[in-house]
Amino acid sequence: MTSKRRWTWLLSVLALAAGFSLMVAAYGVAANRTKAAPKQAHKSVGTLKAVLDTIDYLDPQQAYTGQSWWAMWNVWETLLTYRHVDGPGGYKLVPGLAASLPSISANGKLYKFKLRKGLKYSNGQAIRASDFEFAIKRGFLATGQGVGFYTDIAGAKAFAAHPTAGGDISGITANNAKRTITIKMAKPRGDFLTILALLFAAPVPAGTSPAIHNGNIPASGPYRIVGYDPNRGFTMLRNRFFKPTKNIPRGNPNRVEVSLIGDANTATQRVVSGSADYSNAAIPPDRIASAKNRGHLILRKTANTYYFWMNVNVAPFNKLKVRQAVNYAIDRKALQTLVWGGLGQPTQNVLPPTYPSYKKLTLYSHNVAKARQMITAAGAKGANVTVWTREVSDALTAAQYYVSVLNSIGLDAKLTTLPRATYYTTIGKRDTKAQTGWARWLEDYPHPLDWFDVLLNGNRIVDQDNNNYAYYSNKKINSSIESLKKAPVLTDAVNTRWAAVERSIMKDAPWAPWSNRVFPEYFTKKMGCIHIQLLYGIDWTRLCRK
Amino acid sequence: MAEFAYEPEPEPEARLAPGESAREISGRSPWRIAGRRLVRDRIALAALALFLLIVVVSFLAPVYANRIAHTDPFDSHISATTTVDGKEVDVIQQGGGELGLGEVPIGPTWQANYFLGADNQGRDVAARVLYGGRASLAIGIGSAVICCLIALVLALLAGFFRGWLDATLSRVMDLIWAFPVYLLAISIATVLLTTPEGINFGFVQIEASSLWVPTLIIALVYIPYVFRPVRGQVLSVREKEYVDASISQGASNLRLMFAEILPNVISTVIVMLPLMIATTVLTESALSFLSIGVQPPQASWGTVIEDGQGLLYTRPWVAIAPGIMIVLTVLSLNVLGDGVRDALDPRAKVRVKE
Amino acid sequence: MLAFIIRRFAGLVVVLFSITVIVFLLFFATPGIDPSARLAGRNPSPETVAAVKHEFGLDRPLPVRYGLMMKRLFISRDLVSYGNQALKVVPAITSAAPVTFSLVLGAAVLWVVMSIAMGLLAVTFKGTVVDPLLMIVALIGISMPVFWLGEVLNLITQDRLHDTFLFSWVPPLGYTPFTENPWQWFLHLIIPWITLSVLYIGFYARVLRANLLDIQNEDYVRTARAKGLPPRRVLLKHMLRNSMITFVSLFGLDFGFLVGGGALLTEVVFGLPGVGRLTFQALQQLDLPVIMATVIYGAFFISIMSALVDIVYARLDPRIRPS
Repeated sequence: MTSKRRWTWLLSVLALAAGFSLMVAAYGVAANRTKAAPKQAHKSVGTLKAVLDTIDYLDPQQAYTGQSWWAMWNVWETLLTYRHVDGPGGYKLVPGLAASLPSISANGKLYKFKLRKGLKYSNGQAIRASDFEFAIKRGFLATGQGVGFYTDIAGAKAFAAHPTAGGDISGITANNAKRTITIKMAKPRGDFLTILALLFAAPVPAGTSPAIHNGNIPASGPYRIVGYDPNRGFTMLRNRFFKPTKNIPRGNPNRVEVSLIGDANTATQRVVSGSADYSNAAIPPDRIASAKNRGHLILRKTANTYYFWMNVNVAPFNKLKVRQAVNYAIDRKALQTLVWGGLGQPTQNVLPPTYPSYKKLTLYSHNVAKARQMITAAGAKGANVTVWTREVSDALTAAQYYVSVLNSIGLDAKLTTLPRATYYTTIGKRDTKAQTGWARWLEDYPHPLDWFDVLLNGNRIVDQDNNNYAYYSNKKINSSIESLKKAPVLTDAVNTRWAAVERSIMKDAPWAPWSNRVFPEYFTKKMGCIHIQLLYGIDWTRLCRK
Repeated sequence: MAEFAYEPEPEPEARLAPGESAREISGRSPWRIAGRRLVRDRIALAALALFLLIVVVSFLAPVYANRIAHTDPFDSHISATTTVDGKEVDVIQQGGGELGLGEVPIGPTWQANYFLGADNQGRDVAARVLYGGRASLAIGIGSAVICCLIALVLALLAGFFRGWLDATLSRVMDLIWAFPVYLLAISIATVLLTTPEGINFGFVQIEASSLWVPTLIIALVYIPYVFRPVRGQVLSVREKEYVDASISQGASNLRLMFAEILPNVISTVIVMLPLMIATTVLTESALSFLSIGVQPPQASWGTVIEDGQGLLYTRPWVAIAPGIMIVLTVLSLNVLGDGVRDALDPRAKVRVKE
Repeated sequence: MLAFIIRRFAGLVVVLFSITVIVFLLFFATPGIDPSARLAGRNPSPETVAAVKHEFGLDRPLPVRYGLMMKRLFISRDLVSYGNQALKVVPAITSAAPVTFSLVLGAAVLWVVMSIAMGLLAVTFKGTVVDPLLMIVALIGISMPVFWLGEVLNLITQDRLHDTFLFSWVPPLGYTPFTENPWQWFLHLIIPWITLSVLYIGFYARVLRANLLDIQNEDYVRTARAKGLPPRRVLLKHMLRNSMITFVSLFGLDFGFLVGGGALLTEVVFGLPGVGRLTFQALQQLDLPVIMATVIYGAFFISIMSALVDIVYARLDPRIRPS
């Protein structure tokens, strides 16, 4: 459950399914600027020094954070992969380890791949067709975080029930001599190619134990990882057994030294002082202006929404007027400045603006006086409210503001802060009867269902690990969501229906959404050739020095 | 990182302080002698005055906030403006550039409003430092007093009854002693903070955000530091002839404990008290700095330093000012502690550090 | 003597055992400590959660759970963190301990040298302005919150004066292992050493001064003076030596305390990945296996140092030996 809220923006992998229209929007500020950059030949940058926020794992079957994938994308290759280009072209699936795109049977249940010739891991061992099945099995054996994506392969469910090292997934057959892989599906799945392009499915040498290997699994991409130290970082070196292809370039840096730094101030300082070339860690709001002057700051949009939820079952938020009043009272613009130093867009929508179904809502203009009147009219003046938040700096900052907003409109609010590890479990328990609090949602895959169905469908409210923190359940909305679930393609008509659902929900105001966060990518002024790959962020293989 | 130990003289009795003649102390009660000595100790008096000044100023925080700065130190003022040198300025200033990125709270104005500037919520730092002082001092003094009282009672019981009671209590103290003080405090605080409904003692309900939580935690972890020396003293006083005499006269246990033994060990506790407060103030600030002490939006010196950590390079005063308050408070208490010790028990060795 | 040592160590084992039980109970009473949801991965089925629970022994009665955890910690040494499945607890501690040792050792050298110098100076210049001046400096050192001092030093050395010749040598926050680059190791630790030692310098200087003043009228000191030994020799050879007994026992306790995790605040402020910071992060994550291991580690150092101090004391002064 918690993994849902990780840096899953990279999971926009499934974007293909959503159509290309959103890509232009997701494209961001920087891409426009850098599109004009001249084409670079293999221009070496020597050693690239990068700073990342914390990562989870450097193991293809385990990693599920954007930071990990940012690095691993060029270390472990999948059968299909994405191109190293700017803009919507980056969403296009191209052959990776496979020689070409697969042949797919008419019923969509049979996929046939052929591996390229002469592929080798970074230890010189040959990459065999059977290594693919081994990797999928390894995921199940290790209960890796991505295994849920692969259960539609024939025999995968049976294997998952009793995973053993010697077991077999009947739907996957490989012929090592002919380098062919055949995948049979239990049922067709339209997004299966994108799922095969996820790093979870990257082949690893047979015999690699299911235990987590941080970086020390032989690489199949242009780089390999050495010297991982969870407290400090790791280094990426060239994989001398790698042969570049049209879609997978050799990469400019000879060596990438990645430092893992959790503290935003320290991370920013590294770039400012020139001891690092690049950082994708957050920048403290008070330092953004100076950072911008002293380096090269690029903003990258991703699909996320930050919001305050209001439990519609608990007073005073069981009253519509109170929930609407809260929406009127929040100064969304000021809040962007407060929490992220302006690195965010004010929003009143559930969906992020990168979605084709998105239709901007302006139901609640900032008006504290009106909000105060509404609270008084609703008879909620002086009502006790406990605001819940978690012990993370941005959440704490936003929640403190929220408390004072609630106080300013006549409620009597106080703050409760929970540790990171227990926050969602606690508010997701029905018995907690949490009144209101902070939350955010980062997409798993770009589809409105990932938002409305998971977060606001009343039929999906559960007693434990509930995601509908507002306990919002509106029969009409619920049935609309259920019926829209059946619509396979996001046509204009379907999008319009989603927009209507969103509008009715926001009129009911179970949430007060306030931000679509934008992420800073920070370089020293010496760095050039800055390209954004839509899925993986800054394409470090193409960076160069000016 | 705290260590507190006190080695009282095993047999407290009237002794001469340096520069004191025997005539001056003969025939006077030890308390009067101590009082006289303390009054003569100019440095200790100055320290006491400084400490009282800090206490008074901190407890006048509402006056500053309401009458002078006209601000609420617990509410965010992110789109507020204030007047500096007759000009209206934003409390939270947006960064420049085409994107208007970044935010910097207003720096020290050295005027009535936002004297020390604002924190990132636009709250008046000076007001928060004063309110923070209230909380820090309340927790510091409260936990030191509670700790000393509990330790005193336990030490009296252990030293008086000895036997299994003494053995049990001493073992429990050994246990607490073996924990790194901060780790114990942090463990308990973490556990309590995950229980937002608070703790129920049956008769009282304490919410997780209540100031009582850090107060009681800090009191608990320092009990062994007071218990050990006091118990030793009780044990030795217990062996005195006059105690035996009282016992033979059939005095009750309660009477023995409170009338005979307590007066002989109370001075030890009094000597320790200022130093204990110094220690607990420092501990509170550390816990709050690690965000497991006083919970925001409430303020204490430690939480204000924590807020200031994020603004360290642009608005250093947010972190520096409360630190200076802590240094002054702890310094005055340490000097005062020296003075009290010299006055009550000139040859005892007291040590306290954080 | 041997009996005393054995008894002291038996007591130590009992204390360590009790501490693990207390910590275990303390945290298992906490809501949200159950890591199965965190460990089971994405959208787990109830069966997966049950399997994870079983794997970690979370479906067993409390005493069995305690036993399992201790077994995996001490015997099979493969206890895994609840938060990060790649994090084995024992190697995590063994890789954090050198950082803490580096920090504490350097600070200890600094504080011993500085405090002896200050103590001796104060006594030598007693009656002049030097003595009270030094003692005021010592008191201020004792009165500063260590994390605040660290931040102020960071502000000065990392930002305000970083570009001047004074502090341009200060590397960014963090740690470099000695084995990797001794010079960088040294540079990275200078400011943390100073920060951590300030309190102890102040404290030890005060204790030493008081001690020296106490014994200056003892018979043997007066004899030494009467013999016509030069004052400096009396001070260094007779008085300082004698004061060292208290000094060393204090040092033992403080050293054990700091190595055992007491340097946490310094580690947090300077981003040093030592045991204290590891414990603090584990507490924030409610990562029970790591908490257990670090608390045992800390209690072990504290207890063993205090046992050692007792034994040394008992050797030096047989009267203390308990009957």
